[in-house]
Amino acid sequence: MTTTIATSGLVKTFGPTRALDGLDLTVEAGEVHGFLGPNGAGKSTTIRVLLGLLRADSGQVTMLNGDPWDDAVALHRRLAYVPGDVELWPNLTGGEAIDLLGRLRGGLNRARRDELIDRFDLDPTKKGRTYSKGNRQKVAIVAALASDAELLLLDEPTAGLDPLMEVVFQDVINQMKAEGRTVLLSSHILAQVEKLADRISIIRLGKIVQSGTLTEMRHLTRTTIEAHTATPVTGLENLVGIHDAEVTDGRVHFAVDGNHLDAAIRHLSGFGIRALTSHPPTLEELMLRHYGDELANNGNGNGAQ
Amino acid sequence: MTTLTQEPASATVRQPRGNGLAGTGKLVRFNLRRDRIKLPAWLFGMFLFVFYYGAALPQLYQTEEDLQVITEFTEGAMGAIIAGPGFGLDDPTIESVVAGVYGLYFLLLAALMNILLVSRHTRVEEQTGRSELIRANVVGRHAPLTAALIIAVVANVLLALLVAAAMAAADLDTSDALLFGAGIGAVGLVWAGITALTVQVSAFSRAGSGLAGAALGAAYVIRAAGDTITEGGSLLSWFSPLAWSQQTRPYADGRWWPLLLSVAFAAGTAAVGYVLSTHRDVGAGLMAPRGGSPTAPPWLRSPLTFAFRLHRAGLIGWAAALAVAAAVYGGLTKPIVDAFEDLPETMVDVMGGDPSRMLDGYVSTMALSFAIVLAIFAILGIQAARGEETKGRAEPVLATATSRSAWLGGHITVIATGVVVLLAVAGLVLGIATAISVGDAAYVWDTTVAHLVYAPALLILLGIAVLLFGFVPGAVGATWAVFGFATIVGFFGPIMDLPQWVHNLSPIEHVARLPLEEFSWTPLVILSALAAGLIALGLYGFGRRDLDTK
Repeated sequence: MTTTIATSGLVKTFGPTRALDGLDLTVEAGEVHGFLGPNGAGKSTTIRVLLGLLRADSGQVTMLNGDPWDDAVALHRRLAYVPGDVELWPNLTGGEAIDLLGRLRGGLNRARRDELIDRFDLDPTKKGRTYSKGNRQKVAIVAALASDAELLLLDEPTAGLDPLMEVVFQDVINQMKAEGRTVLLSSHILAQVEKLADRISIIRLGKIVQSGTLTEMRHLTRTTIEAHTATPVTGLENLVGIHDAEVTDGRVHFAVDGNHLDAAIRHLSGFGIRALTSHPPTLEELMLRHYGDELANNGNGNGAQ
Repeated sequence: MTTLTQEPASATVRQPRGNGLAGTGKLVRFNLRRDRIKLPAWLFGMFLFVFYYGAALPQLYQTEEDLQVITEFTEGAMGAIIAGPGFGLDDPTIESVVAGVYGLYFLLLAALMNILLVSRHTRVEEQTGRSELIRANVVGRHAPLTAALIIAVVANVLLALLVAAAMAAADLDTSDALLFGAGIGAVGLVWAGITALTVQVSAFSRAGSGLAGAALGAAYVIRAAGDTITEGGSLLSWFSPLAWSQQTRPYADGRWWPLLLSVAFAAGTAAVGYVLSTHRDVGAGLMAPRGGSPTAPPWLRSPLTFAFRLHRAGLIGWAAALAVAAAVYGGLTKPIVDAFEDLPETMVDVMGGDPSRMLDGYVSTMALSFAIVLAIFAILGIQAARGEETKGRAEPVLATATSRSAWLGGHITVIATGVVVLLAVAGLVLGIATAISVGDAAYVWDTTVAHLVYAPALLILLGIAVLLFGFVPGAVGATWAVFGFATIVGFFGPIMDLPQWVHNLSPIEHVARLPLEEFSWTPLVILSALAAGLIALGLYGFGRRDLDTK
């Protein structure tokens, strides 16, 4: 496998703020890479450094075997970008903006453009200033996905899209993946990334705190269970794959690894389940339980030195 | 639960009426807080402006004879166009010169202040979506417009008082100072009312303030034409709100009643604004937005053609406005130059020193005027490019195979070409109209060249803006200071007795005032090279800095 994006020790400061604080990110060719982190973690800054719009203060960065700052124009012929907050020209129609951006990149797949406009249900005759946020997002998505670019940099591309369009988007990205393109997909919603990504990098405060495949990052695939039972649950500690269990009079809350879910539910049913909810872990939970604590401990450790 | 479902129907019936002004007071305070720099800066700036003229003119015109000169200069058609009816100038005093000669420019500034003020607190808020946040609170339908107009009224009253205070501070006769100030404030009120109306029409603030600006242009032209027909203004003049303030005749035989027209007109236009605002939704205009082409035209494919597409509407508007103005001023050449014939010797010196070439002096003065107006076009153009960057629209373009220099270079090329083309338009139309007016075809060519020679000097101003864009992008607006300096030196330099090196700092001063002076290539080549250097440096700076992103 060849590496499409590689950064090491990337630092970018804006005045007193350290937006990127030694970021190491690796994206392999042909993968959909989920770039996950809360708002303000440095996702957009990373992508803008990769686009040569911002210049990193220090650290190495290589993309498509080139330097994002020095080789910006040559690299941009091979990639397409969807900004997180799309602004359009007030006097240009959506269709004009799509064509213009495609042509400036060096070409546009006409058939795919029309197909995408159709699938995303976009009216290309409206002027830029009359589009809603979701529709502006669609314009940028169509402009990027209608290209034959080998790398797609997508910065929270579906913010503002309704769930139906989100499904269309996932379909199109899977199609891109099948064509062998590389996708860097940033998001602050785990469920979104989970459906598409081969590998995930989690960014927090300008640093990658963990990177790997979904199966490697088991805690990401755990299911959180909350149940109300007739009699208090006991014996959970004897089961394999149960984490963070809490039992409080008649209520039980725990996370369980995917392959031990069956055994856990079987165990619960012995206590008379009255209500049961299960959901995948949210990014907030992950940040709080795994990364926040970890970093807090590190911080304490440093302070003690 | 069943009772709840019936609730909305009865709620609509019970909806109280007449609370359209709820929250106005809070909005006034909130808007004043947001305006705490802008509004005082405008008011204090106007105060200084009036004070400056009031204090400087006695230095320039120390004797009765000196003052007589300016009177003869402003008499006739030329005076009617650039100053107004000029009451009290037959027997001029410093006060009547301030009011009668420079007063018109205070009127224009007051109108501009109010157009920006009302637009900023009404349509701009709606367009950005901020008023949705506001209106979702306990804020009545009419509260935002009312709050904007209350601030406008307060600002215009303060403006009137400050103008009067400036006259007093400059140690001038204060008998008509309040009347003079009130005339300026009244024009402000009129344009506050007009803007309250025009912002209702389109969903976009630029269209709204543009319409109000067009009304100001029309008022100027109507007044200029009316004042040219008859000395002291004709019936036609009275169709212009600018004339109402001038017809108060401060420091001649002052009278207050024409200002009743201003107040009534302001109230009337504002009332129409209120009525129109009830016929539309928040954020919408009265005119439905039009659709457009689903595909881009084939020529829209490079950074250059894209920059042209963005500046196209502005270019057309500028060309049309310049052509109309040039046709008017050119058509009036004959009567204006005839009026010059009995100028005293001192005035002849100002106009070039050769009484037989007053026509050439007029043409060169007009060329200078159009050149200075076009400097505004150049600076606004670079500010528009800066807006593309700060509003986040440059980002997706620069993420395509478009280099920084191609993107900014596209804008610069379009603006620079625009400057040359617009100079040619103004020069050609003025030349043709002048040639017809005086019956000498040679003026078509001479006048066009007289305008085109200013291109390199204007490109220097453009270059300064580009240089700032490249290295200190937040300070592109500082180019206006250079513009202001060049304007003052250009228009008033000859009567200001400044040291030569101060003159030399203004790029415009190095341009030969054709056809009066000799044409010379050297300064043009040097200015062009300097402009190219500034632009190249700016492009270099932009290529090295971070893009400002939203």
